[in-house]
Amino acid sequence: MKILTIVAGVLLVFVFVWERVDVVRLGYQIERLKTQKIVLERERDQLQVKFSALTAPERIAKVATEKLGLVPPQQGQVLMVRLPGEAPSLVPPRVELIRVAKHDSIGRGRE
Amino acid sequence: MTAGPSRGRRYVVVLLLLCGFSIILFRLVTLQVLQAAELTAKADRQHQKTVSFEGARGMVSDRHGKVLAMNVEVPSVFGVPTSLESPSRVARHLAPVLHIRSSELERKLRQDKSFVWLARKVEPEQGRRLEQLSLDGIGIVMEGRRFYPKGPLLAHVLGFSGMDGQGLEGLERRYDSELHGEKRVTVLQRDALGRTVFPKGVMEQAPSPGHALTLTVDEVIQYIAEKELEEAVIHSRAKSGMIIVMEPQSGAILAMAVSPRFDPNVVAALTPDRWRNRALTDTYEPGSTIKAMVAAAALEEKVMTPSSMVFGENGQMVIANTTIHDHDKFGWMTFSEAIQKSSNIGAAKIGIALGEQRLYRYLQAFGFGQRTEIDLPGEVRGLLKAPKDWGRRSLASISMGQEIGVTPLQMVSALATLANEGVMMKPYVVSEVRDQKGRVLKEVRPQVKRRVVSPDTARTMTTMLEGVVTNGTGAKAAIPGFRVAGKTGTAQKIDPRTGAYSSTQFVGSFVGYVPAESPRLAMIVVVDEPQGEAWGGTVAAPVFSHVGEQVLNYLGVAREDTVNIALAMRDH
Repeated sequence: MKILTIVAGVLLVFVFVWERVDVVRLGYQIERLKTQKIVLERERDQLQVKFSALTAPERIAKVATEKLGLVPPQQGQVLMVRLPGEAPSLVPPRVELIRVAKHDSIGRGRE
Repeated sequence: MTAGPSRGRRYVVVLLLLCGFSIILFRLVTLQVLQAAELTAKADRQHQKTVSFEGARGMVSDRHGKVLAMNVEVPSVFGVPTSLESPSRVARHLAPVLHIRSSELERKLRQDKSFVWLARKVEPEQGRRLEQLSLDGIGIVMEGRRFYPKGPLLAHVLGFSGMDGQGLEGLERRYDSELHGEKRVTVLQRDALGRTVFPKGVMEQAPSPGHALTLTVDEVIQYIAEKELEEAVIHSRAKSGMIIVMEPQSGAILAMAVSPRFDPNVVAALTPDRWRNRALTDTYEPGSTIKAMVAAAALEEKVMTPSSMVFGENGQMVIANTTIHDHDKFGWMTFSEAIQKSSNIGAAKIGIALGEQRLYRYLQAFGFGQRTEIDLPGEVRGLLKAPKDWGRRSLASISMGQEIGVTPLQMVSALATLANEGVMMKPYVVSEVRDQKGRVLKEVRPQVKRRVVSPDTARTMTTMLEGVVTNGTGAKAAIPGFRVAGKTGTAQKIDPRTGAYSSTQFVGSFVGYVPAESPRLAMIVVVDEPQGEAWGGTVAAPVFSHVGEQVLNYLGVAREDTVNIALAMRDH
């Protein structure tokens, strides 16, 4: 009985010590993760700024016209297509109404 | 041996000890009681340090969530001159990284201070290079820097913030209390070497960031407006230009631009006249665009009908000893034609028919002479004198857009009233304020200011203003496939040297809306001091057409001449 009490006491001390050590270890781990979180958030923000700058309409237009040789659509080249919003079915093929702009003279000049 | 001398020595020792203790006691009382407060404060100054933390400034994004302004933590570089052995060597190492002259850095590092800023808010890459150098006496702290990733886009509306994160111009200033992060002051302990010991828990609760703003502006529409305005200003060699695109039914601003533009990321070298949002801080004499409001007042008051006849006096009329001219020798014309041809004499006669009080009342109702109360700083009232201050010529002059000062924002709001069946809306730029978790704290709903004219008058005016584009001075504002209603304006500027109207300096403008039958856009284009052909119909109307066409395409508004065609469709 006496031995058992001593063993239990020693065990309790060990558990207590282990717990304290583990708390400290976890504390360090939390601190490390927090630092990592701050660094990652900073990187995320930097990437977001970069993304916003790269997707600016001005830059896209520049790349489209200068690098890819694209030109803005001229009159009559933009067609509005109106489709009903219902979910598509598999069969049968149906006749739909599409609204299309009348074709105008292409390439209205700027003054 | 006798006890005398030994007793005497004892007394001496006791006396000495007593004296010693008395001195210590006296010193103790002096330090601990008499000088206690002063010394405690001194000690606190040495081992405590007050630091203020500020949460990141809130983000600003357009109506589709595209980021227009945001904060990023970037390195700031400081030096500790007192701990440097060779300031010149350190300065030589730093100069190529910070892009600052070595002599300039050395001057800072030779100061008799324990802390100096060397470069604040530098690029992250520069910070990394400095870390690799690991120079003694040089340190890095992270600070929030404001970035405007789209460069000059919307710069005049966004404004900018200062080095310490305070809003200085534009929305940054107007919404500073919402945008700035929480400020928290904390007392930190310093160790014997002066290093900061962060008390536990301080950094665990970082101060919360500022609120985010969602704007009514659409970055694509803004880009189109800026691009076309810039082209027109360069093409006409004008001093400046302004454009506003507005949703007539809500008053929401879709685009607002001033040319020349500026980049809010680099404002240090600029003067305030570059970043002033002239669309609401500067007034101009509107010239003929005001005739749309004068005509609406005459219709509403039933002074005129579209078919009423007006005599153009063959291009010349004398009022109060001054001759009013028209750009053509007009004879008899209908009220509609007078507006379409932008006859000054016609407008003067309409004004005279209305009378001073009624004209003044309607111009006030259309918002002239008062702020629109848009949520942007620096807006002016413009100039609309009360009838008691009018001269003998004023009634005619004001009817043709002279002796009155308006802002482009006032003019577009007034015309948008006609596009919105006679109801004036309050213009606004911010639609939502959200907290860091995305919860909506404030939602701005369209706000009706007042009804100015009846829906019937507004519709009649729309038909008349369509005539301006189809048969009148605004032909170049036409957009194929859409009905455009609008009015041109060409106003002579007052020459500051002579005080009289200049024959070389003009303001050309066009204000209109499209599609006329159910307007999606109201827009004003103002070109200040164009060279060569300076008519509003020549310099401003084409910008309206180009912007309008691209924006309607972008918004997916169907053309009036679209046809329905039958097409076999196979579903997927």
